[in-house]
Amino acid sequence: MQRFRELSPLKKKEATFGWKLVSPAVILIGLFIMYPVLYNIYLSFFEVSLTPGVPNKFVGFQNYRELLTDPTFWNSFGITMLFVLITVVGSILVGLGVALLMNKEFPGRGIVRALILFPYVAPVISTVFAWQYVLMPLNGPLTILLSNLGIMDVTKDLVNDPNNAFLVVSFYSIWKNFPFIYLMILSRLQSISQDYYEAADIDGANGWQKFRHITLPELYYVIGSLVLLRGIWNFYKFEEVYLLSKEARTLPIYLYEKAFTGLPELGVAAAIATVLFVVMMVLISIYVRKVLKW
Amino acid sequence: MVKKLTVVILAVLVSAMVFTQTITFWHTQVETDRQQRIRALAQIFEAQTGITVNLVPIEENEILEQIPRAVQAGTLPDVVEGGISPILLLGSQGFMDTELNAKIIEDFGDVYEGVSRLMQAPDGGYYGVPFHAWVQGIWYKANLFEERDLGAPTSWYNILTAAKALNDPANGFYGLILPKKADAYTEQVFSQIALSNGARPIDKDGNILFNTPEMIESFRFYKELGKYSRPGFTAVPEALNGYLNNEAAMVFYSTYIMDDIAVEEVQKNRVEHFDPKLVENTGFANFMVNIRPSSFGEVVGLGILNTSDNKDAAEQWVKFLMSGSNYIYWLHMAPGGMNPTRSSIAQMDEFLDNPVLERYGKDQITTIISALDTVERFEFMEGEIIEEMSILSGNFVIGRAINRMFANDWTPQQTAQWAQEEAERLLSD
Repeated sequence: MQRFRELSPLKKKEATFGWKLVSPAVILIGLFIMYPVLYNIYLSFFEVSLTPGVPNKFVGFQNYRELLTDPTFWNSFGITMLFVLITVVGSILVGLGVALLMNKEFPGRGIVRALILFPYVAPVISTVFAWQYVLMPLNGPLTILLSNLGIMDVTKDLVNDPNNAFLVVSFYSIWKNFPFIYLMILSRLQSISQDYYEAADIDGANGWQKFRHITLPELYYVIGSLVLLRGIWNFYKFEEVYLLSKEARTLPIYLYEKAFTGLPELGVAAAIATVLFVVMMVLISIYVRKVLKW
Repeated sequence: MVKKLTVVILAVLVSAMVFTQTITFWHTQVETDRQQRIRALAQIFEAQTGITVNLVPIEENEILEQIPRAVQAGTLPDVVEGGISPILLLGSQGFMDTELNAKIIEDFGDVYEGVSRLMQAPDGGYYGVPFHAWVQGIWYKANLFEERDLGAPTSWYNILTAAKALNDPANGFYGLILPKKADAYTEQVFSQIALSNGARPIDKDGNILFNTPEMIESFRFYKELGKYSRPGFTAVPEALNGYLNNEAAMVFYSTYIMDDIAVEEVQKNRVEHFDPKLVENTGFANFMVNIRPSSFGEVVGLGILNTSDNKDAAEQWVKFLMSGSNYIYWLHMAPGGMNPTRSSIAQMDEFLDNPVLERYGKDQITTIISALDTVERFEFMEGEIIEEMSILSGNFVIGRAINRMFANDWTPQQTAQWAQEEAERLLSD
């Protein structure tokens, strides 16, 4: 790498011009991303005052100590990890299956392909209400159907039962997000050369062998990236969980309650956000190296 | 010529910008038709005074969560319309202009004392001006009660007897509709039951009292009622629809139910068939007694905030909303649900000139409004405000306790113990 001083005048000009071009982006990122992150870390060392005129009080690592010794925090942390695991694995399996089906030719495929995207493109709030409606006790259409099939009692209130909240929210998240996975995998599937399959046919490979040795290796990196993206998104997932059932107590919900309900503890909430951030960064860097082999 | 014109236009624009005042008004009337009425009032107000009102509708369950966010962002409104909990939360943190609110009450001179006492601040001022109020009680199928010779559901004994007698799940008819969800509605219903048994979650000295015998007894009664209630954890809309749909004999509801019962168009928004006899077949038990009588209600106040830069404009807006036909226009948004807090308005013929209020008649309306004087809440005890209660309400401690009691089949003791520990945890920080 050359030092700036050692560059020729023309190259110097070019480099300066380059800096000028990227500077708006750098400034914007600094302002809108780095500043809130740093301010959040700063706040996590204070007892934040809500009363006007009373300054924040520096408390050092008090908020972190309080947090890391709070069993509710660890409970939420475990629930969040489980939520990420279930929803990522679930939506990838469903997305992969649907993509494989939709990769086959059949009449009306275009319409079906478009319809499958519906859960992903529909607004969260409307799908949440739809789920609450179909699962209502006594009158919900899905409740009636499930009870006619003998799977569930018609008087069961699935969504509002705190014992089921986690499962309902996980199912909802899989249903809502599998079309994204499906879309990504399908586009990759379409670009796999047919020659591989023809060659495999000549070698006498069966369907499973073709899937195992051609399709899956070809999909490796796209699935790897999808796991990363969905993992990050679901780790921080708030609105879907909160709107459907506040009883599924994942970390973002716990953070929200600390920050915004009753008499809020914004310092503690900032500490939770910082811990989430650090955990996520560590997980991502391990994952990127080991799985995506960057 | 062009230059002169430009100067004139600029001068007009600048003066318009300098002299146009804007105030922000938070209100909890999120329904579309109600928002239209409020917009109309704001337009009339602007035409009369030149003050623009920026309207921000906020869901009732969410207002407690919006407040801290707005405090941090510096976007608190000039005037807020909200129930007792949010007004108290803001007041206890020093955000309310208690003197100005007191001055407005004094200027009116005819605000019911029973309701203004619920907004009184320790400094002698008021956290808010009582604006409108509702009363909660049991609405019941009076014709069925008469057929079976059952007493009006005003005592624990009568309520349970009627629930048992009229419960008929085989035919899709239940004794009552009881909320069991972790929300404000459950807390409201439980409040009335607990208060009628002399139980309170927190006393004046801040002691947490969930594990007292009176409270455990209240949980026990609630759970017993659950046996005869319509299945489901039940939120407000399901409760209302259930009663209108003739699925239960009793429902805990506020006076907001009055237009749903009486008016065909309103009822048909909820259920398919209109029942023209529902008004005469419905009775209202506006108090409950076990060891002592208690009525429950909510007062919605208008509070001017300390942080407001336009207190004059805010005062004008509050007075505008609570005067003459403007006030009546607002109250008729939800006839029966929104009852006036000024005696002069309650007696005006113009106020009673409404299809819903007419159907119930002047006497019944007066009875409802008179119940406002004896309204009790967990947040108040012997004239003192218990601020900690707003933290418990904001975290839905009672709703969550009851939700778990039914979902996990907890005993009343277990439920009380859970609520005790949860309250201690929340209030220890």
